[in-house]
Amino acid sequence: MLKNRRLLALLGALMLFAAACGGSDTTTETGSGDTEETSEETAEAETEEEAPVSAEGDCSADDFLCVGLVSDVGKIDDKSFNQSAWEGVQGSVADQFDFIETQDSNDYGTNIQTFIDQDYDVIVTVGFAIGEATVEAANANPDVLFIGVDQFQGAEIANLAGLIFPEDQAGFLAGALAGLMTESNTIAAVLGTDLVPPVVAFQQGYENGARYTNPDVDVISTFHPGGLDVAFTDPAWGADTARQAIDSGADVIFGAGGLTGNGALGEIAKEDGAAFCIGVDSDQWETVPEARPCLITSAMKLITPGVQDLIAGAQSGDFTGGNVVGAVGLADYHDFSSVIPQEVQDEIAALTPLVLSGEVATDGS
Amino acid sequence: MKQRQWDALRLPLIAVALGLLVGCILIVLAGNNPATAYWALVKGSLSGVTELGRTLDKATPLVMGGLAVAVAFKAGLFNIGGQGQLLLGAAVAAYFGFRFSMPTVIHLPLAMAMGGLAAGLLGWLVGVLKATRGTHEVITTIMLNFVAANLTDWLTSRDGPWKDPESGAIARTPLVNESAEIPRLGGLPTGFLVAVLAAGICWWVFEKTNFGFEVRTTGLNPKAARYAGIKTQRIIVTTMVMSAFLAGVGGAIETQGVAGRFQPGFNTGLGFDGITIALLARTNPLAVVPAALLIGAMDAGSTLMQAEADVAPEIISVIQASILFFIAAPSVVRFIVRMRSDAATDDDMRLSSGWGA
Amino acid sequence: MASPTNTKRLIPWFAAALVLAAIVAAWSWKSGDTEAVLGRTVRAAAPLILGGLCGLIGERSGIVNIGIEGQMLISAFAGFMASSYTAGMGTLASLVIGILAGMIAAALTGTFMGWCAISLKMDQIIAGTVVNIFAAGFTSYAFIQGRTQPTYPQWSVPVLADLPIVGKVFSQGPLTYVAFVVVIIVQFALFRSRWGLRTRAVGEHPSAADTVGIDVLRLRYVNMTIAGSLAGIAGMLLLQSASVFNRGMTNGIGFIALAVMLFGRYRPFGVLLGGLVLGFFNGLQAQLQFRQAFDIPPQFFGMIPFVFTIAVLAFAGVSARPPAAAGVPYEKE
Repeated sequence: MLKNRRLLALLGALMLFAAACGGSDTTTETGSGDTEETSEETAEAETEEEAPVSAEGDCSADDFLCVGLVSDVGKIDDKSFNQSAWEGVQGSVADQFDFIETQDSNDYGTNIQTFIDQDYDVIVTVGFAIGEATVEAANANPDVLFIGVDQFQGAEIANLAGLIFPEDQAGFLAGALAGLMTESNTIAAVLGTDLVPPVVAFQQGYENGARYTNPDVDVISTFHPGGLDVAFTDPAWGADTARQAIDSGADVIFGAGGLTGNGALGEIAKEDGAAFCIGVDSDQWETVPEARPCLITSAMKLITPGVQDLIAGAQSGDFTGGNVVGAVGLADYHDFSSVIPQEVQDEIAALTPLVLSGEVATDGS
Repeated sequence: MKQRQWDALRLPLIAVALGLLVGCILIVLAGNNPATAYWALVKGSLSGVTELGRTLDKATPLVMGGLAVAVAFKAGLFNIGGQGQLLLGAAVAAYFGFRFSMPTVIHLPLAMAMGGLAAGLLGWLVGVLKATRGTHEVITTIMLNFVAANLTDWLTSRDGPWKDPESGAIARTPLVNESAEIPRLGGLPTGFLVAVLAAGICWWVFEKTNFGFEVRTTGLNPKAARYAGIKTQRIIVTTMVMSAFLAGVGGAIETQGVAGRFQPGFNTGLGFDGITIALLARTNPLAVVPAALLIGAMDAGSTLMQAEADVAPEIISVIQASILFFIAAPSVVRFIVRMRSDAATDDDMRLSSGWGA
Repeated sequence: MASPTNTKRLIPWFAAALVLAAIVAAWSWKSGDTEAVLGRTVRAAAPLILGGLCGLIGERSGIVNIGIEGQMLISAFAGFMASSYTAGMGTLASLVIGILAGMIAAALTGTFMGWCAISLKMDQIIAGTVVNIFAAGFTSYAFIQGRTQPTYPQWSVPVLADLPIVGKVFSQGPLTYVAFVVVIIVQFALFRSRWGLRTRAVGEHPSAADTVGIDVLRLRYVNMTIAGSLAGIAGMLLLQSASVFNRGMTNGIGFIALAVMLFGRYRPFGVLLGGLVLGFFNGLQAQLQFRQAFDIPPQFFGMIPFVFTIAVLAFAGVSARPPAAAGVPYEKE
């Protein structure tokens, strides 16, 4: 008798469980399409047009291109490099595409392997930290093509393209503009962590660029004091630090560090034109609309088109391994084209090709 | 005997089922299919040698983290610092792993022990502050989590002394030498066996020895323990060191057996996982192993769950929180499943009281 | 002649005078930098103070709350969602709705913790841990990137904002001022009102409180809910700065608030002081980096507040006696 009761108890729990899940199955099957679309709509409505939808097919077929993306530790909608790369995959010629968000840096290899096991043709990995796992996977799977965003290739592997960016050049141009725009002769940078190479490159380029156009300028820059897990996801710290920079006299502020930097941009926007801000990575006029009141430009590294082009190359057969240098530059001035003096715009326009060609060195020499 | 075993198992099992149910509801609300999701979770963690190996990989630091919390509970201490202790253990083991080279029989255990000792030092600080100054261990362990994270980040950063000179701008230590690597047996990690062994030793020490008795007495009633002539201050310090040592060894196994090096930003959230596991196991060191396997399997399977069912991996945290809630609230479970009230499920899960004493 | 107690009473005034002198000295040396640091001090202190008060009210009524981090996160999430869906109603309305939503969400979380601790008699540390894990997982799972909400205005107090030294202190977001008003209210309510007397009685000696006719359990429920709403404002303060919600945006502030509570020895004005001290370190570390005053890696700057807290607790330690009944469920005898 006792035993029966115990069984009943457990059965009860299991049935509850099965009922809820089973019952939901039907609703999901009939309604899943709608729900997914609405949630996607809300997600995209504010930022851009609806994302293309992935097809379902046989990834082992020759004429069906499957592209998988493995993120660096972080979310696919981080408004930063993971998102840019994912948008590149979505906008590419791929027939089927999917992503895996990495939760733990020990999982890079497994996450890549998950796509390989599903016969994916191209695998995009994002971030320098996942580079080693990507190299290993590329060596072990010569038939699969790999694109490593932000991954410098020391030795060339035929099926692995490292998409790298001269962030220092983009930072230099941003600094040059900041140096010309400042009236207080103090400019600032609110940065993610110095544990991540591209952030350091942006910072050094920015400082040297500012001194190039304005030798008297005072550059005050701060790295987030926390670790990798918080440095890019702390908008409140970014905002408070930006405010402190304004209080310290800065009137142009560069926010470079994922959501932390975006927090800085949002805070400067509250100044209603008394201070300018400069975004990073993509054209943040589009991705951080709340920063529009102050956003004069963004120091861009064009991950999205870079990834798109490499996937197109993978499909057409002209995929080459080794390092592929992606494009960098300043974003459009948007509404500030009427605020930024014409001679400043001319000077930046003249400087841009010199910096991008390397004629003007970004290391301040 | 059977009756007692069943009673001990029943609550955790039902709690897990209810936790999965909560997850199920949320998955449905997000418009995904929970059956696909949970099936992918199972497939991704159990379906082959690779998957099993991953589950064991994930479970290893969880066993150690769970033991760290469970052991501290025995003395009435709440160690939230597993995260920081693990990071420090991982970093120090990496240092001894790459810096020195010696025969495997010495090198492997030495690096592991040094990782554990470094973490043990953190635990010692916590224990001493608690025993002599009355500083609550929850606060000090939380604070030390931040300190350890920043310290290990710095050690491998641009100017850090342990940075891999060949990694360019990338922050990480060099690979540990082969003599410090924990080998794998046919794809399965031997590090897990170390963790199981540790669980066995903990069980023996805390359930069977005189020392263990003193620790438990201190945990149950420190005043009575003092009257009985137990040096409670010493017990607190020793237990805290042991607790931190276990977490540190967990980090060392991670470095020497899984990652091969220390790199900032790994295993975030382990401290909380350790709490869930210790409670799931009702602070019994032997039961920590299956509890850690369960959570480890969820972590390992979450990758495939993302890929096949488009369910974000954070759902695992929600499920874990729910499991923890149900474990700690037997009366709620009884209300839901109309379970009989009895001593085995009702013995209080009381760990700690106020901050000061 | 001054008795020993009188001399002891002078210590805080003496310390305050020292701090004031240091600030004036720093200001005359580097005026702009000093003002910027003071502004940041107040801004960074506000969420710590409110979080600390949340812990304090719970503890004073006999419930240990380590779920502040989770409460703040839930508040910021709910507040952001509410503001962003009502953005069409105008900035003011949308912000007010957001603040209310955040406060209510965190207050309900407080009630839930109260239920766990009071009615279920669950271990209170486990209850807090459940809230922390759940909040992190749920807000992360449910959050959809891409929404925006109106930004909070920056309010400068006329005249005061133009003062030297402290000018930047009086140029903050509206909720920051609220934090400092709340701490004064709680201080007086706790030590000068009937509610305060009852709360302290319930936290120190619940059975005695019961015999004089105080409904112990009910007061604990009420206080956990009130305290939760304060954690709610703390969460909204993060949103006031960041302008958008983000996963895990509390980044440990709820835990540091716990330390602030202990630092303040369970007194609202102590919490105020603790919050200001940690806020000051926040400002100092950024300013030192700005000016590259020392060649210290940022990771070490980041450690300062935590090492400092441990040091203070180690030295002040034992004298901070917690309410006697904190952590113990109340059972009628």
